[in-house]
Amino acid sequence: MIGTRAEAGAPARVRLERRLHVETRRSALVRIAGLLVALVVTGILLQASGRSAPTLAGEVFRATFGGRFGLEETAVLATPILIDAIAVAIGLRMHLWNIGVEGQFYMGAWAAAGVGLFVDAPRPVLLILMALAGAAGGASWILIPAIARAYWNVNEIITTLLLNFVAVSWVEWFSIGLWRDKEAAVVQATPPVGARLPLLPGSIILHVGFLLPLVLAVVFFFVFRNSRWGFEVDMVGGNPRAAEFAGIAVRRRILSVMLLSGAIAGVSGMVHLSGATGRLQGTISNAYGLSGFIVAALAGASFFGLLAGGLFIALLLHSGIVLQSAGLSVYIVLAIYGVVLIGISVGEMASRYRLVLGGKRDLASGPKEAPP
Amino acid sequence: MPAPAGAPGQLVVEARDITKSFDEVLALDHVDLELRIGEVHALLGENGAGKTTLSNVLAGIYRADSGTVLVDGVEHHFRSPAQAIEAGIGMVHQHFRLIHPMTVAENIHLGWRDTPQFVTKRELIERTERVMGELGMHVDPSAEIWQLSVGEQQRVEILRTLARGARILILDEPTAVLTEQEARDLFSVIRGLVEGGRTVVFISHKLNEVLEVSDRITVLRDGVRVISRLTAGATARELAKLMTGEERELLEKSRTKVGDRPVLELVNVTARGSRGFIAIHEASLTVHAGEIVGIAGVSGNGQTELAEVATGLRRVDSGRVSIEGFDNTNSAPRRFAEAGVGHIPEDRLGVGLVRSAPVRDNAVLRNYWKPEHSGRLALRRGRISEFARRLVEAARVQTRSIYSPAGYLSGGNQQRLIAGREALVAERVFIANQPTRGLDVHATQDVRQSLIDRRSAGCGVLLISEDLDEVLEMSDRIVVLYEGRIVGEFPRTDVDRERIGLLMGGHIGPADAEEASV
Repeated sequence: MIGTRAEAGAPARVRLERRLHVETRRSALVRIAGLLVALVVTGILLQASGRSAPTLAGEVFRATFGGRFGLEETAVLATPILIDAIAVAIGLRMHLWNIGVEGQFYMGAWAAAGVGLFVDAPRPVLLILMALAGAAGGASWILIPAIARAYWNVNEIITTLLLNFVAVSWVEWFSIGLWRDKEAAVVQATPPVGARLPLLPGSIILHVGFLLPLVLAVVFFFVFRNSRWGFEVDMVGGNPRAAEFAGIAVRRRILSVMLLSGAIAGVSGMVHLSGATGRLQGTISNAYGLSGFIVAALAGASFFGLLAGGLFIALLLHSGIVLQSAGLSVYIVLAIYGVVLIGISVGEMASRYRLVLGGKRDLASGPKEAPP
Repeated sequence: MPAPAGAPGQLVVEARDITKSFDEVLALDHVDLELRIGEVHALLGENGAGKTTLSNVLAGIYRADSGTVLVDGVEHHFRSPAQAIEAGIGMVHQHFRLIHPMTVAENIHLGWRDTPQFVTKRELIERTERVMGELGMHVDPSAEIWQLSVGEQQRVEILRTLARGARILILDEPTAVLTEQEARDLFSVIRGLVEGGRTVVFISHKLNEVLEVSDRITVLRDGVRVISRLTAGATARELAKLMTGEERELLEKSRTKVGDRPVLELVNVTARGSRGFIAIHEASLTVHAGEIVGIAGVSGNGQTELAEVATGLRRVDSGRVSIEGFDNTNSAPRRFAEAGVGHIPEDRLGVGLVRSAPVRDNAVLRNYWKPEHSGRLALRRGRISEFARRLVEAARVQTRSIYSPAGYLSGGNQQRLIAGREALVAERVFIANQPTRGLDVHATQDVRQSLIDRRSAGCGVLLISEDLDEVLEMSDRIVVLYEGRIVGEFPRTDVDRERIGLLMGGHIGPADAEEASV
């Protein structure tokens, strides 16, 4: 209950008060409310620009949920986003912001393509080799930022971010240059890689890579709950000086977390290459790394929360493709993404506060004793 | 500075029926307070009693949920500190709000309405000197804040508040950060202010200070006013009882015979501080099993570095550190823990705890890797929880559950958790650096008891404290540290308080000669 008595002379005012605890359910509900507000705003804007929002919404819904193909397409989009989000979330446990997942994704895909194009082996073996190469490619791309962070405390946000641009150019150079497919009509990609991931039983396009993020989320949930390494990482993340006092090798933990994050991002590049595109191309990532980053940040590094968030972003991306084919400009589509993400982020912030009227509260309804 | 109007003894501030809660915590429960012109009014209470909350309401930092504040009989509802100071109420916080790379004059003029829009450094300094002259308090106006001692910084804060026209000055735990001499100086400043017709609210949990400096005392307990009375005739024992709601038990001090077995030995240790300067010079120190060695000294004279060297958190440049005869020089912190060295660090939040982690994880921070808590890969969560529950119970940590983040505990309970945890690590040596700083009576007692218990169990205890009373009360032997050197040593039976005070201040020659030359 909010107090309603107004103090004589003091006008009733509304103010914000920070909550000590935010329940998961409340936080989820407020985010959904933020999403709904954003969708209404989007609808009004579309309507104002002469489009029929209900018709477009119906089209998006039909194209996504109307058949297997739409759903599978969404899941294929979700796969790299989810794996990248897990890579970011692992860093976030230590308050390390790996903004370079995009670049590590590219380098993972590149290294996997190198193996796929030039190594001759039976498919299962080749896939394993490609995955290892992907992990190594991603990890190598974060090696310098990781060392700089661990030994000289160089901010990893900047270093990892800048390396993204290098990775994109690197892959472009190979895909339209050195490794270009000279036989087929495709001019901006390599020839098909030697091995593709199998499809899930009964699927049209959905490959087994979709299972990887689900497995990883469960594995890391338990790693951080029960393992010694996870405990140490959480302690370093919470307070590096206390971790040192506890005898934890802080630098080694920073290195291991960042390299693992990079390796997982690299594997996501390999999965997307061998599962979805089949060829290495300059545009192999549709900003999956950045989407994964947003997902992990919004999910607050919760491994199950990010699964829901990643699927949602994939849905959004898929809707964008549908909207574009319905004739909406790509800029409008990007604006819609923006409005929706802002709606959810505002909801996330809002769930940490509550409104109090007039600076007063009905004390009779609250417990009298201070909690211990 | 206009001289405050009104006759001494006249009511100047009346707080009526103030209630304030934070989330579900009721910090003030219908509290009244009356302040009179020309008095030093002490607000006495344990941590969490509501002293600071009440002051923040008076100073416009918090808004009360209900109740009114009258200044000179006029009702006010302050929405900001600026409005409170407009009405004459100003507050000096426990943690100073000064800008270190700026000068005293600049800090005093920052955000002050009377500061001219365009002004030269020269003018700022002149204006500052004028203010200081009127108030009779002096600090070099062109010094930058970081160059000043803590006592001088506090004076700048007071000057800044008074310059803005505060007639009622609230000092939140002003002596917590001061040395004895600085506290003396502060008391005479306070006396000067009230003689000039101002009112000072003095927040503290130190009984002796309150008895010494105040004219009137209000005791708060759990957000309720217990009593307001004149200081004259009050006794420390009676106030302690009002504060805690019970008679303070005396510490259990059963003594074992001090062994002659050295458990911690520092031999000619030289080490650098974090800024790279030598912080400890060739210091040698031995702690035997079953004794408490107290280190007296003004903070910043190498105490923290000494504690860190003896626990593996800092490397030595030269010299030797051994634990029970085994060389442990420059070993990793975990080797010291394995050797049985427990450590209550000075910066308990910065080093001692992971605030975001649950109490359970903090309970095993220093021994989570031991076989009873963890295998090679997986933690034994069940056993860890059981261990944490036992620790919380034994160390009397008040917490909702072992799953609450350690950051949610009050300061006293955080320290109980650290002390309890480290006592279990300390099989041979227990090093406590400022273990009771800022704690209330109960927590102080619990922490001191844990040191005494370890000593009785045959452990060597090294107690580092700025509180000379604490060092004298607890220690079997007292060592004085000054500028990183050990400048004096006193057995418990032969303590010369004055001599220790002189040594702490750097008067290293023989006591008599020193007096003659000063």
